[in-house]
Amino acid sequence: MLKTIIRKELLENIFSYRFPLFSLICVILIPLSLFINNAQYAKRLRDYGEQMRLSEEATTGLKVQDVMAGRVAMKGFHPPAPLSIFAQGFENALPRYYQFSQDGATQGESSSGDESLLSVQGKFDFAFLVQMVVCLIGLLFSSDSISGEKESGTLRAMLSNRLPRDVVLLGKVTGGALSLWVPFLLAFVLGLLLLLFGSFPLFTGGAPARIAVLAAASALLILIYFVIGMMVSTSAAKVRTSLVAILLIWAGFQLVIPKLGDMTAALIYPVRTETQVALEKSLVANTLDTEAAKELGRQYDAIFENAKPGTGDDLNSPERKKWDSLRERIQLDVRENKARQLAAIDETFEQQRRRQRNLAIDLSLISPSAAFGRFVADVCGTGDLARTKYLEAVRSHQKALDNELFSKVKRTIMMHASGRTTMAFQAQPVDPKKLPKFAVAEASLGEAFKENIRSLAALVLWLIAPFAVAYARFRKYDVR
Amino acid sequence: MPILKAEDLSKRYEDGVLALDHLNLEVRGGEAYCLLGANGAGKTTTINLFLNFIPPTTGTCYIRGTDVTRDPLEAKKYVAFVSENVMLYGNFTARQNLEFFAKLGGKTNLTKNDYYQVMRRVSLQEKAFEQRVKNFSKGMRQKLGISIAVIKDAPAILLDEPTSGLDPKAAEEFLEILAELKSEGKAILMSTHDIFRAKEIGDRVGIMKEGRLVMERTREELQCEDLVKIYIDYMKSEPQTA
Repeated sequence: MLKTIIRKELLENIFSYRFPLFSLICVILIPLSLFINNAQYAKRLRDYGEQMRLSEEATTGLKVQDVMAGRVAMKGFHPPAPLSIFAQGFENALPRYYQFSQDGATQGESSSGDESLLSVQGKFDFAFLVQMVVCLIGLLFSSDSISGEKESGTLRAMLSNRLPRDVVLLGKVTGGALSLWVPFLLAFVLGLLLLLFGSFPLFTGGAPARIAVLAAASALLILIYFVIGMMVSTSAAKVRTSLVAILLIWAGFQLVIPKLGDMTAALIYPVRTETQVALEKSLVANTLDTEAAKELGRQYDAIFENAKPGTGDDLNSPERKKWDSLRERIQLDVRENKARQLAAIDETFEQQRRRQRNLAIDLSLISPSAAFGRFVADVCGTGDLARTKYLEAVRSHQKALDNELFSKVKRTIMMHASGRTTMAFQAQPVDPKKLPKFAVAEASLGEAFKENIRSLAALVLWLIAPFAVAYARFRKYDVR
Repeated sequence: MPILKAEDLSKRYEDGVLALDHLNLEVRGGEAYCLLGANGAGKTTTINLFLNFIPPTTGTCYIRGTDVTRDPLEAKKYVAFVSENVMLYGNFTARQNLEFFAKLGGKTNLTKNDYYQVMRRVSLQEKAFEQRVKNFSKGMRQKLGISIAVIKDAPAILLDEPTSGLDPKAAEEFLEILAELKSEGKAILMSTHDIFRAKEIGDRVGIMKEGRLVMERTREELQCEDLVKIYIDYMKSEPQTA
């Protein structure tokens, strides 16, 4: 019986105008989006290679004096994510590079400055197409799945037979989903073939598994929207009513809820801007540096007050030894204190931001599209996880450079009681070849799943709950 | 044993309207029972209750002894249904529609020829067999509807105003098929407004008014009575259960 319903649904969809239209949309848009984004990825990759080459060249003959004088910028570039051609996520919003110095890492500009205003509303990529176009068509496919049969009376004819109502619903879901999945997946495969011709590294690393997960997640989202549409269709007596309801649901899930989630979270947990935090950090650092300079000046004056002229330059004099040891201790204290205070500011900021982001994520999970968007962005290496990994890499690289490069340069500023300020430098030789290379660890597929447990749970819930509602309503439906 | 039986059957809708008021009815194999009555008299509600489309407020429907409310799926094995506007899938051909409903009716091993044969039996034009039904006339749709009932080969057939809107020739052809089915031993319950055809096909005719069966006559009784006059008289009078 189930097979009969599935077959009927498939045939009905295939014979309708919707099926060829949907197939055409998929076959044109999906490969086109992959083709365009592959070309953009290739361009980003070339830019990245060129920037890396220039950066390598700059650091080859690096001298500590260059660092001291600020002549060399130590930069860490963000490598483009290959699978960003499927879901761009934060790819263009993240800083292209971070610049490292003794005072910490500062972010460079992002690629989003090159984009048009319209692209800010959603990038034309595979994930966008699935969310905005394919899911809308999925909803439209199911809009008349039950209400259409109610209206035309075929439901009466069907249910006059020995046909359980759950079989009707299951058959409709399976048949409807197959009618959507087949052209969608064919278009997806066509797009992949196009990528192969475009020399995209389709079979390198974990790409095949990630692409398979991407296809499966997309198929799941299409099914979810189909079931949501069917839930509406079981509740509506007329196709027109379900169409209106479906369009409202689509607009809410795609456009309103994801944005509203971010806005509500920002309202509930306001977070300072990065500029405010940077200013606070700079203020703290300056205050500590000034205090250290005053203390060093005071100590220097006390030690060398009664000493003969030139004693300060005699490395073996007891005053110089005492000064060296005292300066080391003061500078170490200041460095540690500064690091502690700046880390505390960063930590507080991160905590506040994490709390806001978590709330935004939780709120956005009301929309299956948002849950899908977060998951696929992480699978493609362009989501929250990639951003976190990038920031971790920046922090870790800064630490490594502090140890390997910046600590080799010692700068002593003293503010004397007389109001005079003096500055002294000490530098140890550095082998540029031994300097750590900036690298961003790629999040594994397992990490993407782990990070998105809530999103996946939301998707599963969005599949089960509408079906359960549809079933409950359809069971109680009086056929008249 | 009657194939169709309504026992003290009542239906009150959520809005408070009493659509059916303690109906008692039996239809035996080889018998055609015609329900006459104005719109809202309770004819379609009776059929809907037999098909378990709606639950009864009180009473029970039986199809071949099976309580429709308790075991609707088992009961539906023994009944075929033809509605006023036969509902078909417009994008399917006549044969595809017939095949789909035949499979729902449990006939899974039929060949294309079997379907063609049934359609020939109900006098559907040969060229229409593989045509999409969206352009079919009402008469053609009714023929296809009755072919769905024929192919199911159920012992009971419920018809909800099947001749309404048909031209006289098509209605006549339709009744001929019904007569054949009756002669094969099917129990037929037909709701209709068509007094003349009710008299022609019905072994018994019942008149319903405001949910009650107010009159019942056998074919023999109607030989010497004017059904039109009886009908009009009952429509004017206060309803009293027959």
